[in-house]
Amino acid sequence: MAYKTFAAIDVGSYELAMKIFEVSGKTGLKEIDHVMQRVELGTDTYNQGKISMKRVDELCEVLSGFRGIMKAYHVDAYKAYGTSAIRETENAAVILDMIRSRTGIEVAQISNSEQRFLDYKAIASKGELFERVIGKGTAIVDVGGGSTQISLFDKDKLVATQNLRLGLLRLRERILSMHIRHSGYEPLIKEQVDNQMEVMRRLFLSERKIDNIILVDDYLSAVMQREDLGFDNPGFLSGKECRRFLEKIRTRNRTQIAKYIGISEEKAFLLYISCEMVCRIMELLGSKMLWAPGVSLCDGIGYEYAEQNKMIRFDHDFEKDILACADNIGRRFLSNVPRAALMEQIALEIFDHTKKIHGLKNRERLLLQLAARLNDCGKYISMSNVGECSHSIIMANEIIGLSHMEREIVANVVKYNRVDFEYDAQMRAGTGLDSEAYLKVAKLTAILKVSNGLVRSYREKFNTIKVSLKDRELMILVDTPEDMTLELGLLGPRADFFEEIFHIRPVVRHKRTGMPQV
Amino acid sequence: MAESKEKKSKRKLTNKTKTQITDLTDPSLYTNRELSWLMFDNRILGEARDKKIPLFERLKFLSITASNLDEFFMVRVASLKDMEEAGVRKRDIAGLTPSGQLEGIYRATHELVSLQYSTYNRSLIPQLESSGLHIVGHHEVLTKEQSEYLSRYFDDNIYPVLTPMAVDSSRPFPLIRNKTLNLAALLKKKNGSGEDVEFATVQVPSVLPRFVELPGQLFEDDCKCHLILLEQIIELNIDKLFLNYDVICAHPYRVMRNADLLIDEDEAADLLAEIEKQLKQRQRGNAIRLEVEDGIHKKLLRFLKEELELNENDIYYINGPLDLTFLMKMYSLPGFDDLKAPTYKPQNVPELPAGCDLFEQIRERDILLHHPYQTFEPVVSFIQQAAVDPQVLAIKQTLYRVSGNSPIIRALAQAAENGKQVTVLVELKARFDEENNIVWAKMLEQAGCHVIYGLVGLKTHSKITLVVRREDDGIRRYVHLGTGNYNDATAKLYTDLGLLTCRDAIGEDATAVFNMLSGYSEPKNWNKLSLAPLWLKDRFLQLIHRETDYAKSGNHARIVAKMNSLCDRDIIEALYEASMAGVKIDLIVRGICCLKVGIPGISENITVRSIVGNFLEHARIFYFENNGTPQIFLASADWMPRNLERRVEILFPIEEEDLKEQVIHILQVQLSDTLKAHLLTPEDTYEKIDRRGKALVCAQDTFCEEAIRTSKEMAKAQSTQQTRVFIPETPR
Repeated sequence: MAYKTFAAIDVGSYELAMKIFEVSGKTGLKEIDHVMQRVELGTDTYNQGKISMKRVDELCEVLSGFRGIMKAYHVDAYKAYGTSAIRETENAAVILDMIRSRTGIEVAQISNSEQRFLDYKAIASKGELFERVIGKGTAIVDVGGGSTQISLFDKDKLVATQNLRLGLLRLRERILSMHIRHSGYEPLIKEQVDNQMEVMRRLFLSERKIDNIILVDDYLSAVMQREDLGFDNPGFLSGKECRRFLEKIRTRNRTQIAKYIGISEEKAFLLYISCEMVCRIMELLGSKMLWAPGVSLCDGIGYEYAEQNKMIRFDHDFEKDILACADNIGRRFLSNVPRAALMEQIALEIFDHTKKIHGLKNRERLLLQLAARLNDCGKYISMSNVGECSHSIIMANEIIGLSHMEREIVANVVKYNRVDFEYDAQMRAGTGLDSEAYLKVAKLTAILKVSNGLVRSYREKFNTIKVSLKDRELMILVDTPEDMTLELGLLGPRADFFEEIFHIRPVVRHKRTGMPQV
Repeated sequence: MAESKEKKSKRKLTNKTKTQITDLTDPSLYTNRELSWLMFDNRILGEARDKKIPLFERLKFLSITASNLDEFFMVRVASLKDMEEAGVRKRDIAGLTPSGQLEGIYRATHELVSLQYSTYNRSLIPQLESSGLHIVGHHEVLTKEQSEYLSRYFDDNIYPVLTPMAVDSSRPFPLIRNKTLNLAALLKKKNGSGEDVEFATVQVPSVLPRFVELPGQLFEDDCKCHLILLEQIIELNIDKLFLNYDVICAHPYRVMRNADLLIDEDEAADLLAEIEKQLKQRQRGNAIRLEVEDGIHKKLLRFLKEELELNENDIYYINGPLDLTFLMKMYSLPGFDDLKAPTYKPQNVPELPAGCDLFEQIRERDILLHHPYQTFEPVVSFIQQAAVDPQVLAIKQTLYRVSGNSPIIRALAQAAENGKQVTVLVELKARFDEENNIVWAKMLEQAGCHVIYGLVGLKTHSKITLVVRREDDGIRRYVHLGTGNYNDATAKLYTDLGLLTCRDAIGEDATAVFNMLSGYSEPKNWNKLSLAPLWLKDRFLQLIHRETDYAKSGNHARIVAKMNSLCDRDIIEALYEASMAGVKIDLIVRGICCLKVGIPGISENITVRSIVGNFLEHARIFYFENNGTPQIFLASADWMPRNLERRVEILFPIEEEDLKEQVIHILQVQLSDTLKAHLLTPEDTYEKIDRRGKALVCAQDTFCEEAIRTSKEMAKAQSTQQTRVFIPETPR
């Protein structure tokens, strides 16, 4: 059979969802089944800090049911991800182990940025429509149980992404704990949204126009697809239509909303919060149109699987988005952009010519690019402690599309570019790095250190730079009219580290062509 | 003579309409559903009275009126009595309080019962006699030899299973079980004082046949069969049960009890166990009706009346054998085939030749099934083939009422044993089938099926089967949707429609239906199906309103709808509005119809007809003209509040042009029926069609003939194909 069946499981904060897909190179990704079951993991995590055993029982029962459905479809593969409720619970490792032993399902923790990236991929799977919408200033508003991610696009380029602690379950818990009347919900939600949006507005929105909003959530976007609710163009709503819909549900109580939409009362309340929140964000961004493509994390997981198995190919260049995101962090923290570009150029030359030696793949090449671009962002905080500060900045800023581990690799490469390398156990203590990641850090650091050594005097440009591998030497031929005595003098310890890691000695040859700068 | 209430109401309505009613909620525009149902039972009784119908078929119809009436009492009357006792004053659609409704029901049911027995005594019994079947009405007419024979029969066969029970100060009145036939007797101790009379009762055992054939040599007439009812034999020998007593009198009686199950699903931890418990209690519900032999001893009657706490209205004096449902059993008596209608054999479906690969045929095109004219076999085969097909991954099905020894159940169990994922929704609460359903549910569970019991508070009445198959080009879903239950036995008697399809949009919806039923998802945005209780009513209203709008704007508008019952006020209001806008509406409603026709300015454009024939009309078909682009739907739901608001029901479209034509043809033939159709009149009565100048058309016969013709043509075409096979010459 020229297709595979794949199950994508989202262990969310409010409910568990599973989609069964048929994946083939010919027809792409086709949804076969979609099941969901309410298990409020988030209520435990956000209120008590950890998931209770009663919820774990519920969770395992549902996952066993999912397993039965997977069996029925004879699925070839599955991927299960736990999102914020699992991520933030204190007893995550114990719970994931229990799930594995009781249901046989391996649930992986997914970082916020990975989760959002999958959502983003699911939206991007809409192809031309997606490209058309992001052609104008656009914000992806990805509403989750614990937080909301807002990603801004400017002329089809991702320019910023920010995680706001505005999750639906969090908001619901806050509303319920305050025992306020129905009429008090609206000002409370508005206040929360305004507070969270204020910094974002100042940082990113002062000179930007956001015409469109792309909504990803589990409640409102599904409702916006519905033809029976009288939307002119289901899935695409003008600001006016959004407000009209909000008015309709604002004037109804939970029971009435549930009856009107045909959902449970619990969901009706979350739908109301989502609607109130999204309308306010729309208002603050001054957006004219909302597009609800009706995608969910499960779709993203499905696309990831299909992409990994080379059954689909995205037209959209996601690496460009990841790099653009890093550039924005660099700009925000006043990085030396021309110097970083030169470092990146040298680092990539070395990386590409030593592939057989380091054995790293394209994904690590991207991490190297990111490390080069963010190599000095810590200077914004301290000139004397650039390595540590850069590490902190990178870890505190989300780069959509990177996993937590990848971000940690980038942050450590940047750090050890500046400070003495710490070996294995010492480095891994207190981080989430595993031994594989540690090796990646070591290899990428070695490369970055050499490239950094070559641009120490902050020249902006070499005429050419050529790299070749000969016996146990890495020949780096630099063509520049400038004096390189300093670089060549200081390269020693960096070359030593490179040699220690790769058992290859970097040797720099200097060729002078042209006139030096005065 | 004082004007009857009905006449008054009609006069009131005419006067009102003269001044134009604008409020469509006015109760005078509606008929009470219970009275309308009794009119339906009357129409069935009409078949029992129709001399053109073979005699044994008439017995069957009379038996049906009796069993229908039993169910009506146990559920509808019981519920009204509960309401009356609770002091409920809420008025129904026709403006009647529970007491008002009961008053009307008593009057109508007494009339109906009287008509049943005059039919039995004056029409059927004499004709049976002249056809060679003699039923001994009373044991008093037996000869000495006949009595002696029955005395021996009693000793050998009946006496061992009888449990006579006396009532006195130390022995309380026993529980008389619901619907059982009993004999009540007044006893006097031998040598006792004149005033010292005791009451005793004995149940006529339901484990024994209700009637016994007497040897022909005991009679001197030419009848080929002589029958006597069991209660008459017991009555004849009753003194053997009370040896120390003199039996003053003995009379048969029958009690009907409130049989509506009261299940609090929210509280019930295990629905299966709760229903089992309630079923036991059903036998102990309050008595609501007492049938006694006409001429019963006054003292005996008074005793029963007091013990059972009944009013005079609840007592029915029966001039003949109690419980006429035994007539259905009589139908199977051998030797009277000439008194029965020829048995119709459901025909093959042209698109599905015997032994074909159903999945392949469904991939070719959607297939419409018209039962019982066409065989139900493809539906059974659909499950059977799926059960053994290695490519089938899962089978999901809803079961509302299934037959005893159902091949579908067997196939589902086999599928589970073959490793398929089988999910079955067994609706335990299908009224009076609960016991049967529990048995099937347990059996399916044992076979490894995943059995679910539906949604709390809602009966799952939809009829849907989903087969998920892994094929070379992807996963494909095959769906059967029907208007009737998955019951191979009733499929030979009920007229229903079914659709076999593998359209993606319907497959997706079917998957969502089962996910919803198994609690795995909430309702979603449906592609093609509309589901009750969430959207179905709105969908119907929207479709009716659309016709109204078309009519108002001078476009083509028409509604033809066929169903079992129509009593939803919102739907009727919408139909009245449509009629007022000029939409021509033809309704084919078998049973209850609360809509009134011919109300000036309101329902003049509406006709209602009811077809009562050999087969039970059961299909729900809805046709909307849609300004020249007709839309046709089939459904499991009637236009009743219970279907639209308290049940899971499905409405599905027929989209292939040739199938649409088939359904339109079905409606056309039904609308042209002049033999079995009864037309609702503005006087709120049903009358047979005036046949003057019209062809004699019986819709059911027409469909039978058409199915036979098509099947023959198919067989002929197949044999032609076979004869044209070229056989290569064998080399010499």
